[in-house]
Amino acid sequence: MNRLHVKPASVAAVAGLLISNSIAGQSTAYKAEELPPAAKAARVHITQGPELESAGDNSAIIRWRSDNPGGTDEHYGVVHYGTNPRELTQTAKSHIRLNRSHSYTIFRVRVDGLAPRTTYYYTVDSMEANGKGDGVKSVVKRFTTSGAIS
Amino acid sequence: MRVLVTVSGTLAMCLGAAILSNAVAWEGEPPPPIYNPYPPGILPPDLNSELARVLREVDVIEGRALQRWHALTPPVLTGQPPTLQGTGTEAIEILGELMNYDKTISPNENVACASCHMPYVGFSGPIPSVNLTMVAYPGTAHFRAGKRTAQRYPYAPFFPVLQYNQAQNSFFGGNFWDSRATGYLLRNPDAEQAQHPPVDTQEMGNPDTACIVFKLSKAKYRPLFEQVWGKGSLDIQFPGEAEDICEIPGGAAIFGSNTTPLRLSPEDRLRANEAFNHWGQAIDAYEQSVQVSAFSSKFDAYLEGTYTLTADEKAGYDLFRGRGNCNSCHLDGRSTAPTPPPPQGTAPNGQDTGAAALTAPLFTCFGSSNLGLPLNPRDAIYYQDKPDSFGFTANPAGFGFRDLGLGSFLRSVAAPNPNSTWTQFAPKSDGLMQTSSARNVAMTPSSCPTTEAPGPYFQKEFFHNGYIKSLKQLVHFYNTRDKRGYAFNVTSGHCPKGTIEKVNCWPKPEVPNNLDMTIGDLGLSDHEEDLIVVFMRTLTDGFTRPYANSDTYTGACKTGGSAATQGNEFLIPTPPLPPCSAGICDVPPVPGPLPIP
Repeated sequence: MNRLHVKPASVAAVAGLLISNSIAGQSTAYKAEELPPAAKAARVHITQGPELESAGDNSAIIRWRSDNPGGTDEHYGVVHYGTNPRELTQTAKSHIRLNRSHSYTIFRVRVDGLAPRTTYYYTVDSMEANGKGDGVKSVVKRFTTSGAIS
Repeated sequence: MRVLVTVSGTLAMCLGAAILSNAVAWEGEPPPPIYNPYPPGILPPDLNSELARVLREVDVIEGRALQRWHALTPPVLTGQPPTLQGTGTEAIEILGELMNYDKTISPNENVACASCHMPYVGFSGPIPSVNLTMVAYPGTAHFRAGKRTAQRYPYAPFFPVLQYNQAQNSFFGGNFWDSRATGYLLRNPDAEQAQHPPVDTQEMGNPDTACIVFKLSKAKYRPLFEQVWGKGSLDIQFPGEAEDICEIPGGAAIFGSNTTPLRLSPEDRLRANEAFNHWGQAIDAYEQSVQVSAFSSKFDAYLEGTYTLTADEKAGYDLFRGRGNCNSCHLDGRSTAPTPPPPQGTAPNGQDTGAAALTAPLFTCFGSSNLGLPLNPRDAIYYQDKPDSFGFTANPAGFGFRDLGLGSFLRSVAAPNPNSTWTQFAPKSDGLMQTSSARNVAMTPSSCPTTEAPGPYFQKEFFHNGYIKSLKQLVHFYNTRDKRGYAFNVTSGHCPKGTIEKVNCWPKPEVPNNLDMTIGDLGLSDHEEDLIVVFMRTLTDGFTRPYANSDTYTGACKTGGSAATQGNEFLIPTPPLPPCSAGICDVPPVPGPLPIP
């Protein structure tokens, strides 16, 4: 019985350690149709775009098509943008789900909080759910938001 | 039975002196006044007759279930561990069925689980006019109502316990649109799901989970319950006032914050809790049975090689898993190792030519997403901002209510979150709603063979807030939500002149964060949209064998109009929206990066 006796302070310390190092209810064991991430592609090439899909006064959608990058099904398209082509310091990302039965993937990213009638420069990338980039190389492109002349 | 003959000292102690003056001493008195905070047109004019129609249909199925039970060869309890040998499986499935169609479980004996989930529509909402107007179904206290559409039962039992997957940085599993039935305790989200509506203030509205057990103890099928769960499983000493207390809808002011107004001994409370768990488990057994999750569709026959898809069905399927990209979330169980396109392989256009990896795909990834549905101003929840005669107000925020789905659950706003380590993920979960199985989305009564105008059709409602009224509109939304010239910074009912809402005008999303961009501009033609609808019909159970109780619809079909604009005559202008209620959007961690408008 003595072996089961743990001081309350120790319990609290151990519990704190567990919480800080893990997320309760997490799972890396896959069930049913939830499969482990697909094999990651060695290199991911953009085959179409990136290009402006649409733009409003304060937002835009950037679109491109690449090889299916593989990795986690939950994926993000990423746009690095700014008004100076040498300072693309802002980032927008949008969620998509990869389709494992497709050899290609279409990424679309919403960029919000833009100023009207302003030209923005951007490059794109994509990344897995854990933030690991797909290593996509894209040239700097630009678009201009709409809006009335003030 | 809405009778309170005597109010004993025990009841007074239990509920306080207030009940003595406010009590439901209704014998010979008129029932409480109808709660109707709704402006004209929100409640459909045929609501009472349609609720009565569904109750008649519910009774028919309950009668059939009673016959099944009486015809059942009793199982034999034997072995170690003890098992109900022979017909044990069927016994628990029938028990769940009897519970599911039992209207006596509700305080006013006017709502069964099935009242919002009938088999002839794949266990979704059975009243066309409700689907067109108030979206959420009325509960036992007329006319309180919830806030979302009734999710379909079939295949819900196959969802895993809600988990945060660290590899995918996403949640998978659970039941309900917001995944709040996690399965954390019973390790079965579907069983825990079945425990919510009986005590949901706007649904069945029992004031105490023990009230369900009290009613089970008086049910005709009590012997079956005891056969399945053991003799004595319902032997509980209920207080003399149990019937009276259980007839007061939950949320009534006299209960205060007391969720256990039935005074039970600690031992009886434990027994009642256990029996209430068995309630959920038995209903889960029914929902998992072939009565509900049948795997009997054309598509199942196609996978078995006993049915050849027609040219249109095949073309629709190719789009579903091709440019439509539907199977990225509504997984169809195809090979996960696609044949590459030429010159490395033989697959044209990179399409999968692999064999089916699963013989019974569920057409869901168990995940959630924010598809960007506009706020639907017809939803009954927005109007319930005044107290009813019991002193209950479902939504004090009125149009300040925003449905953040999974995000609100993780903040314990919509329901208690049993896992505080998940709360940090609320901002990236705002607006996310569960990816339902696509199976049976097109199921209708045989007398109304389609969901689509001009019909004859059965009017359904789709997605969590019922904004979409036909499958054509559903596919068109996926296809054109973001299409250049289609997306407008307006709310529903305010599309610019010269446009048609849901045709070439999509109002802005209710929740702008975490929008899923897998969809929104798919580049499908009008005909290709139609082909995907054709394919979705192959997912309707009842092809390889009859679907149980799908013959019970006694209502009418609708005719006329077009699927593209179906229900548009019921669009109403969204009023100027107040800011998102502090009780929803100011609860940390607060929504971001964009504020919820």
